[in-house]
Amino acid sequence: MATTLEARRPGSRLKWRNTMLGWSFILPNFLGFAVLTLVPVIALFYIAFTNWNAFGTADWVGLANFQRMVGDKSFLVALSNTVYYTVFHIPLTLGLSLALALLLNRKMRGVAFFRTAAFFPYVTSIVAIAVVWNMLFSPESGPINQFLTMVGVSNPPGWTTSADWSMPAVILVGTWREMGYYMLLFLAGLQTIPPELYEAARVDGASAWQRFRNITVPCLRPTTFFITVMLTIGSFKVFDLILVMTNGGPGQSTLVLSQYIYTKGFVENQLGYASSVSIVLFLICISITVVQFLVNKRSEA
Amino acid sequence: MKRSIVTGLGIAAALSLALAGCSSDADAESAPETTPSGPVTVTLAGWSLATTPEFQTLADAFHAANPDITVEAKEYDATNYDTQMTADLAAGTAPDIYVQKNLKNFFTYQNGAQLMDLSDVADTLDKSLSGLDAYEVEGATYAIPYRQDSWYLYYNRDLFDAAGMEYPDGSWTWDDYATNADEMTAALAAAGSPALGTYQHTWQSPVQGFALAQTPDADLLSGDFSYLAPYYESRIALQDSGAQASYGTATTNSLTYQAQFGTQKAAMMPMGSWYVATLIAQQASGDSETFNWGIAPAPQLDSSTVKNPVTFGDPTGLGINPAIDDDKAAAAKAFLAYVGSEDAALALAKIGITPAYASDVVTEAYFGLKGVPTDDLSRFAFSTHDTKPENPVSKYTTGIQNILNDAHSIIMSGSSTVEDALAEAESRAENEVLNQ
Repeated sequence: MATTLEARRPGSRLKWRNTMLGWSFILPNFLGFAVLTLVPVIALFYIAFTNWNAFGTADWVGLANFQRMVGDKSFLVALSNTVYYTVFHIPLTLGLSLALALLLNRKMRGVAFFRTAAFFPYVTSIVAIAVVWNMLFSPESGPINQFLTMVGVSNPPGWTTSADWSMPAVILVGTWREMGYYMLLFLAGLQTIPPELYEAARVDGASAWQRFRNITVPCLRPTTFFITVMLTIGSFKVFDLILVMTNGGPGQSTLVLSQYIYTKGFVENQLGYASSVSIVLFLICISITVVQFLVNKRSEA
Repeated sequence: MKRSIVTGLGIAAALSLALAGCSSDADAESAPETTPSGPVTVTLAGWSLATTPEFQTLADAFHAANPDITVEAKEYDATNYDTQMTADLAAGTAPDIYVQKNLKNFFTYQNGAQLMDLSDVADTLDKSLSGLDAYEVEGATYAIPYRQDSWYLYYNRDLFDAAGMEYPDGSWTWDDYATNADEMTAALAAAGSPALGTYQHTWQSPVQGFALAQTPDADLLSGDFSYLAPYYESRIALQDSGAQASYGTATTNSLTYQAQFGTQKAAMMPMGSWYVATLIAQQASGDSETFNWGIAPAPQLDSSTVKNPVTFGDPTGLGINPAIDDDKAAAAKAFLAYVGSEDAALALAKIGITPAYASDVVTEAYFGLKGVPTDDLSRFAFSTHDTKPENPVSKYTTGIQNILNDAHSIIMSGSSTVEDALAEAESRAENEVLNQ
């Protein structure tokens, strides 16, 4: 017994040491995460079932907040606008960033410049983007509508000042802003595809389209999956772009869930109700992500 | 391994230092609080102290009269003031005295028991103090107003002269205003000026504030918004006729009202009284062009109210954080009694603020300020008006104003008719706010 204990000790001590070492590396980040994210998120699940208004006591109201949500037309408008944004923003950004990546994945003069240029919007301040695009979209004096009038469009859209066109305008800017970032991810994915595959395909007489369909797309699948997940989450919680470009307007035409949560919580001080809407947003995001993972797993098998 | 131990020790040392630092700070802060007599310091929340001198002015003037009490201004961010204040109050770190920036949030603070009952202070004050009754809830007063802004009609005398038009005479209704704006635009165009007749900023206030204040029996909390319809129709007409920059142009180009009026892009502009001080400062600094201007009473619904023009504006007041130490509460109350007095009003008037306390002496002080237009109509507009609050104090106000803000953007952008938008707002008010 004694000998075995003696023999095991150094090993277990090493294990303990390694564990502590690992913890000490994680600790600084985890502390920040725990204090600023984890605890508030856990608190959210309690607050969502109360009528807390920032001051005083939070009374337990059970499912009342969720019942209210079902009959809340503004919530439904925000939900459908969020879905509207997501449904168009994801495929557009995915397609355009892939196209850009393919375009910039060849050897040509100035490729570094174009790659950087495509990435610029992503690192530009969102407020600056909103101001400039709003000017471009200006219904009477904006360059976009002046161009449209010039090429013969007699009734150009009102863009951010029209309830029907504000969402397309915001989607356009959102796509423009983010495609550079995802292009970079696609580029990284493209570089990992072994050139031999293309050579072999060429020898077999495969056309460019066939090479794209049968080599590029399958080899990029992990990248595409990652980007789709990121895009989905990002689209559902879109907030800053909308806030600075249209502030949800005109009317409620670009009101999205995150903004609705912000308004209810921090403008109207209904933190309980805002928390329950956050939970719904959280559930939507997580269930779609889970579905995506399952689909990805199945097609991998 | 050695390295990790050293790092660990370093972290532990840093932590203990930080903790020691915290505790010594706390000691230093609590020390004067326990001293029973002698000078007292109370803290006062304000925003953008460098460009908003009113807080320091009040603090300095009060300290001069009461050398034992020091009022120390604590800076907050102007745009996020209420969010930051809510967080600080909830955390127990808010200053002793804090500003009620608008009446919408006053309800939240009062209802959340974050304001001390100041009825005893209010009893010592002049009952005519403008805005005092806005802070009264169930017979008790919870804040003391120090400034009371009101909306006027600003006009550019030089542009009126260039167009050969008569200045506003103080008898205008909104119809007169619209007619003049249209004529002005045409006359200015004929005179070769690119300026427009008027400018209406993108906020909901310049339409809805006037409509609520001037329409008899209009009630924000009734959920019946039909009183807004005539005001919207006349503004839409002005926008369609080209007498003012369209809402779309103003929002997409982020037009500022200071630039529109200050760089002579518009001959008239309905705006709050705070702009007087801004315009004077900007003309001095060169941010605005130099031209002659004046203020006229806001246009009225009909001519029956021109003798005592009806306008709107929320008071700005100070309240006391109930978490204040007992020995400081008396000092804080003394300060609040001061801010509602004529002395404070004089100090504020001298820096171009419209004080809540009105008297002839205050008016004289205000018009003694360099750059303030001194004609009779400007004096009349400053001293004579019936200012109604834009935000009645109620738990429903913020929710309803948000709904009406949506209605405003959808109407002014031309995305919906006035009728449809107001009907939608009424149904939303009923189903989302008034039933809560």
